Amino acid sequence: MIRPSFTGKAMQLLIHLILLAFALSCVYPFILTFMASISSEKSILDDGYQLVPKAFSLLAYRVVFNDQFIYSGYAVSIIVTVAGTAMSLLICGMAGYAMSNKRVKYRNGIAVYFYLTMVFGAGLLPWYLVCTQYLHLQNTIMALILPGLVSPFNVFLMRNYFASIPSELVESAEIDGCGVMRTFLQIIIPLSLPMMATITLFIGLAYWNDWASALWFIDNPKLYPLQYMLYRIESLMSFVKQYGSMGDMTMPTETFQLATLFVTIGPIIFLYPFIQRYFVKGIMIGAVKG
Amino acid sequence: MQGIAEKKKADMQGIVVKKRHGFLLEMKRNYPYYFMMLPAIILLFVFAYLPMPGIIIAFQDFNFVDKFKSPFVGLDNFKFYFTSSYAFRTTFNTIFINMNYLFWTTLVSLLFAILLNEIRLKLAKKFYQNLMFLPFFLSAVVVGKFVTELVFSDHNGVANQIVKLFGHEPIVWSQTAAPWAWIIIGAHVWQAAGYSTIIYLATITGIDDHLFEAASLDGANRWQQIRQILLPLLTPMIIILCLLSIGGMLRGDFGTIYSIIGDNGLLFEHTDVIDTYVFRAIKGAADFGTTAAVGLYQSVVGFILVYGSNALVKKYDKDSALF
Repeated sequence: MIRPSFTGKAMQLLIHLILLAFALSCVYPFILTFMASISSEKSILDDGYQLVPKAFSLLAYRVVFNDQFIYSGYAVSIIVTVAGTAMSLLICGMAGYAMSNKRVKYRNGIAVYFYLTMVFGAGLLPWYLVCTQYLHLQNTIMALILPGLVSPFNVFLMRNYFASIPSELVESAEIDGCGVMRTFLQIIIPLSLPMMATITLFIGLAYWNDWASALWFIDNPKLYPLQYMLYRIESLMSFVKQYGSMGDMTMPTETFQLATLFVTIGPIIFLYPFIQRYFVKGIMIGAVKG
Repeated sequence: MQGIAEKKKADMQGIVVKKRHGFLLEMKRNYPYYFMMLPAIILLFVFAYLPMPGIIIAFQDFNFVDKFKSPFVGLDNFKFYFTSSYAFRTTFNTIFINMNYLFWTTLVSLLFAILLNEIRLKLAKKFYQNLMFLPFFLSAVVVGKFVTELVFSDHNGVANQIVKLFGHEPIVWSQTAAPWAWIIIGAHVWQAAGYSTIIYLATITGIDDHLFEAASLDGANRWQQIRQILLPLLTPMIIILCLLSIGGMLRGDFGTIYSIIGDNGLLFEHTDVIDTYVFRAIKGAADFGTTAAVGLYQSVVGFILVYGSNALVKKYDKDSALF
């Protein structure tokens, strides 16, 4: 519906300027990073970061792609994201579904069990000690996946959504001989796709962007996920120095950082146009309901 | 036992016992559901409940040999923290930074949502919205690198280029503590504004257009309509979003803050929050007892805040309460 707007031309212009300024500030760092990463090291040291590079050089990218850790970082991040998201979705979804069924007698007690963990935590230290002293998670890829698998918040989100699906559907499926798990996978999930897609994207993003777990548990550079590798970039710089000493060029330390930064955010930028609207849709569904 | 007896009785009489179901009967009837919950229950037990007895460390002089059987020291750990200068500084910084997160994110995203709603060009609206949402997808590390490398780096960052443009001496950011709390707050607002903008915009889109038409027939201008119709109708959403984030107030925002400040002690005065303090203590293998005491303090206050804010949400709008 077209809403009659009473704002004059000048007002419209002002609004556009404000929004444009903020919108541009949101993409500016990406463009600047990219432009600076393809500049020559010398021009950055002399003039600082420039939107239009004065001297062009791809040396930093050559160094980045020569660095084995970029590849292992990608591998770790992809494995953690895919495995973590799939498992988390299944585990949280199953729990949420079981809790949404009114026939399950202890579902409220179990909901309390879930929700208590949302309001009361033992604190970082006991958690850290359990993970390292008793589960021996340090320096395993499981340390990056396991602790984040169950999010009570997501469980409750799913439970509420599943509860809004008419229970007659479940009953008729069971009369037709469908097992509980099959009802869940073949009837409930397809009916909940918009919500599931949104939660999938949220969990996936959380795993992809997670670096604190690596900060706690990972010492082995081969197991660094991409984000943590980016954080620890100074420690990878020794590689650059080695590389630089072979030629007679300036060592690309500044541009190496920026090139790595760009390589790690690259996938998000390329996926962004495709996944962004699902996010918006999902948030809209959640917001309008509330 | 009782369950089995009742079930037998029920089987014999061919009726379903409605009044009291025993545990075993319930398990027999609905075991597939309980199996479905099991993985989540186990994982939560391991990662949330198992650490809980570890709170005991807060009352111990912890060492790695005796682990949880270390000697007890009573409330000494708490005394040590609360009498040190850290207690006030970290608590103040945590609350200061989080309050500002909440205030500015709400204000900015509310403003943007209202402005976006005023835009007539559909294409432009989409364009702004898409770009605004982009920072939300970045990790704390990437935001941290943007802030420390691109904008506030000492020699060639954008901030210093601007400072130089105005003919001032470049600022050595890494040694100037005062602005960093605001830099962190700015980075957070920059990252989070797009997301809340979309939530508010969704709420605005859900408002019945007839209200605005009626108001305009009565001669209300756009600004009056916003003040008298839009804002009152947005208030429940604003309040709920605010109350929900109050719960996490003592938990800080470890990821962003640590990736920006790291271990630069010169900046701690204005940026050291409880989480970063605990982290340093754990990684530095310093005084574990004190660290656990701080963690417990954080949990208890967090619990009170979550519980209190939820009670408020419940009072205001029952459907939006978390539990």
